[in-house]
Amino acid sequence: MHTILAVDDSPSMRQMVSFTLKNAGFNVVEAVDGQDAFEKSTQRDYNLVLTDQNMPRMDGISLTKKLRENPKFKQTPILILTTESSDQMKMAGRAAGATGWLVKPFDPAKLIEVIGKVVR
Amino acid sequence: MGEISNNSSSAGIDLSQFYQVFFEEAGENLESMEQMLLELNVDAADDEEMNAIFRCAHSVKGGAATFGFSDVAALTHQMETLLDKLRRHELNPTSAMVDVLLAAGDALKAQLAVHQGSASSAPDTSELLGRIRAMAEGQSPAPAARAAAPVAAPVVTSPTLKSMPIPKAETRAIELVVGPLEKPETADALSELFAEIEDLGTIEPLDGGRAADGMRRFRVVTTTSDSELLDLFTFHVARELIQMRSTDPGFGFFHENAGAPPEENPVDPGYGFFEPLTDASAAEAAPASIAADAGDNAAAAPTAIAATPKAPAARAIEKSVAAPDQATLRVSIEKVDQLINLVGELVITQAMLAQNSREGQLNQQLLAGLTDLERNTRDLQEAVMSIRMIPMSMVFNRFPRMLRDLAAKLDKKVELVTQGEATELDKSLVEKITDPLTHLVRNSCDHGIELPADRLAKGKPEHGTITLVASHQGGSIVIEVRDDGRGLSRQKLLSKARERGIDAPDSLTDQEVYALIFAPGFSTADQVTDVSGRGVGMDVVKKNITSLGGTVEIDSAEGYGMSVKVRLPLTLAIMDGMSIGVGDECYILPLASVVESFQVAPGMIKTIGGSGRVVEVRDEFMPVIDLERVFEVPRFDFEHVSNIMVVVEAEGARVALLVDELLGQQQVVVKNLEANYRKVQDVSGATIMGDGRVALILDTGSLVRRSRH
Repeated sequence: MHTILAVDDSPSMRQMVSFTLKNAGFNVVEAVDGQDAFEKSTQRDYNLVLTDQNMPRMDGISLTKKLRENPKFKQTPILILTTESSDQMKMAGRAAGATGWLVKPFDPAKLIEVIGKVVR
Repeated sequence: MGEISNNSSSAGIDLSQFYQVFFEEAGENLESMEQMLLELNVDAADDEEMNAIFRCAHSVKGGAATFGFSDVAALTHQMETLLDKLRRHELNPTSAMVDVLLAAGDALKAQLAVHQGSASSAPDTSELLGRIRAMAEGQSPAPAARAAAPVAAPVVTSPTLKSMPIPKAETRAIELVVGPLEKPETADALSELFAEIEDLGTIEPLDGGRAADGMRRFRVVTTTSDSELLDLFTFHVARELIQMRSTDPGFGFFHENAGAPPEENPVDPGYGFFEPLTDASAAEAAPASIAADAGDNAAAAPTAIAATPKAPAARAIEKSVAAPDQATLRVSIEKVDQLINLVGELVITQAMLAQNSREGQLNQQLLAGLTDLERNTRDLQEAVMSIRMIPMSMVFNRFPRMLRDLAAKLDKKVELVTQGEATELDKSLVEKITDPLTHLVRNSCDHGIELPADRLAKGKPEHGTITLVASHQGGSIVIEVRDDGRGLSRQKLLSKARERGIDAPDSLTDQEVYALIFAPGFSTADQVTDVSGRGVGMDVVKKNITSLGGTVEIDSAEGYGMSVKVRLPLTLAIMDGMSIGVGDECYILPLASVVESFQVAPGMIKTIGGSGRVVEVRDEFMPVIDLERVFEVPRFDFEHVSNIMVVVEAEGARVALLVDELLGQQQVVVKNLEANYRKVQDVSGATIMGDGRVALILDTGSLVRRSRH
C-alpha cells in the first residue's frame, strides 16, 4: 500500500485530503506544517508528499527543498497544493525540486486523478 | 495532458462532513486576524505580523473555496489580495485599511453564521468588496462610510455538495481544445455556434489559428454547463476530440510528459510537473510555458501576477513564529461534562466509603487503601475540572475591538490594559460572565472616561485608560474593571436615588452609596446613550453575577476613576455548601450566601400584621422563612419548634431561615435538577451526600424574592 505524507496547516483541509486519500486506498500520514512534515519524513518511507504551500513555521517550497537534500527523497514525487499558480510560484516550485502542483480549491476526484499520474 | 475538467464528481466524498471543522477553524482564524489587526501598528507594520494576518485570510479562503462557500471565498479572496500587497510592501497599511478589513471580518462571521444555520441572512458585501478592491488598487477609500450594512440580501445558503466551488450558473472562462483534426477548419463550426445561439457566450481563438499539430484552441466565456456545451459541440466534432478545462483547472505538472512541447501548450491546466531532476532540456521549456500562461491567467484570476518578469524564486518565503497548536485536542463539551459527572459519582462513592469506614472496625490495609482512594479521587477531580478551565483571555480578547469601535463612536480616546489573561475559569462561567463584563467595560468607556478636551482641562492624559485585571484569590476569581475617568459622585448618586424614591440618608457609607447604582432602574447618565443605556442596567449586571454565586464591589474616587470588582467561584460544578437539617430532610445552602447563624430565643420572632414574621438581629428586622413550611417537610413530633436561624443574603436582601440543625460544611457536586427531573421552586440543584442521601441545594435568591411578596 502506498503511503502519502499529507501536509496542511488547516485542519479541515487536512481532514478532507486525508479522508479522500484513505478512501482511495492510500495510507496517510498527516503533518500540520512543513516543520512537522520534515520531522516525520525521517520516520518512514513515503511514496508521495502532498504539501500545502502557505503554512506557518515552514512552507511547502522550503519543505520541498529540505526533503530533496535527503537522498531518500531524491525520487519521491512531491506535489504542492497552492491557491495560486503564478509564475513566481512555479519557478520557486521547480527550483525547489517539486514534482508538480495542484491548485486549490480542487475536487477530491481531481486530487486522486493527479496522484494517479505520479504514483503507480 | 488531456484533462477534461468535469467538475461534477467528487470521488463519492461528501464534503459536508468537514464543514464543522472548517467552521471552527475559520472562526479561530477570523478571531486571530481581528486581534492581530487591532494590534497592528500601521506606521511600523511588522513583516511577520502581516504574513500571519495574510495567512488567516488565506486559510479561510482555501477552505471556503474547497467546501463551496462561495460568498466567503469571494470576500476572503479580495482581502487576501489587499493583504498580499501589504505584506509585499507594495502598499503601506493605513488605519482605513484596518477598518475595512475588520468590517470584512465581521461580514465573514455573519456569512459563516448563515452557512452554519445560526443566522438567516448575511449583510450584502458588494460595497465592502468594492472598497477593499479600491484599496488594493491603491486608491484612497471611497468616502462612503459603512453603509447600513445589514440589508437582508439573499445569500447563497448551504452549498450544493456535489458541485465544485465554481458555481455553474456564473460566468466562467474555459479553454477549449479540439483535435487532432484532419481539417482544422472543422473547428470553426464551433465558433459559429456561439454566433448562432444567443446567450451561449463568447469564443475566441487562442493560438491565432495556428494549427501545426491539428489542434485548435479557443477561449470560451460562458454560463452554460460543460455537459450542455459538449452536447452542442458533438454535432460538429467527435466527443473524444474535445477537451474543455476551466482556464485554470487547478493542477499541473512542471514537466509535461506528453509529447507536446510546452510552448505549444499555452494554457495552464491547473497542475503540472516540474521536469525530472535529470532532464535538462525542459529547463528552458518550462519558463516559456510559464510566461505564456501567466498572461493568460491574468484575465481569469485577479491575483495572478502580471507578466512582469521577475527573477526566478524571487518570491519571499513566508515564515511565522506562530507555532501550530499541536498539543491540543478538540473534544466536545458533552464528553467533558460526562467525565465530570462520572468523577462526581466517584467522589460520592468515595465519600460514602469513607463515612462507612469510620463506623465499623476495618483492617489496617483496607483503611490505608481508603486513604489513598480519597487522595486519588480528589486529584482526579481537580484534574478533570481543569479540563473545563479556559483562560480569561477568551473574554478579554473581545474588548480591544469593542472599545476601538466604541471610542471612535464617542470621540473618546481610550487605551485598554489587560492583566492576568492567563487566569483560568470554568468555561460555563466564562460564557456567562462575558455579558456582564461587556456591560461594565461599556459603562466605563461611555460614562467613566471623559472627552479628550475635558481630560486635558483636568490635567489628565488625553487617553483614558480602562484596565481589566483577572486574578485568583483563594477559591475565587476576581475580575476588576478599572478606569481613570470621572468616577462616581456621592452627591449625584444620593440626589438621583432620592429622585427615584429610594431611601438614601446622608449617613450611608461611601460603599453603600456606590451600591445604589445596582438598584433597579437607577442610571446616573444624564442622557441615555445608545451605548450603555439600553434598558440593561447595572441591576441586571449585579443580578447575573449574583446568580453565578458571585459578588460585586465598587470603589471610586470622584474625578479619578472607579473600579468594579467581580468575584466569582471558579466553577459551577462544585460548590462550598452548608448542610442544614429540617425534620429528617437535609438541604444545602451555598456557603457564599450564608451570613450568620444563631439560636433564637422565644420572643425574638415577631409577627407583623399582613407581612408575616420577622426577627430582629442587631436592630435590623428581617423576614423569617420557615423551611419546614416552604418544603412541607413531614413531621410527627408536633411539639417541635425549630430554633436555629441561618441568615442568608442574596440579591441585596437578607432573610432568616428557620431550621432544626446545622449539619456541617462540605464541598458538594452540583447536579442539575432540571436536566434530571424538572424545575423545582426555590431549589437550584441537588447533590448526593456522603451517606448516599440526596440533598436539595436551595436557591437563596428565590427564597429572598419569596419574602418580598
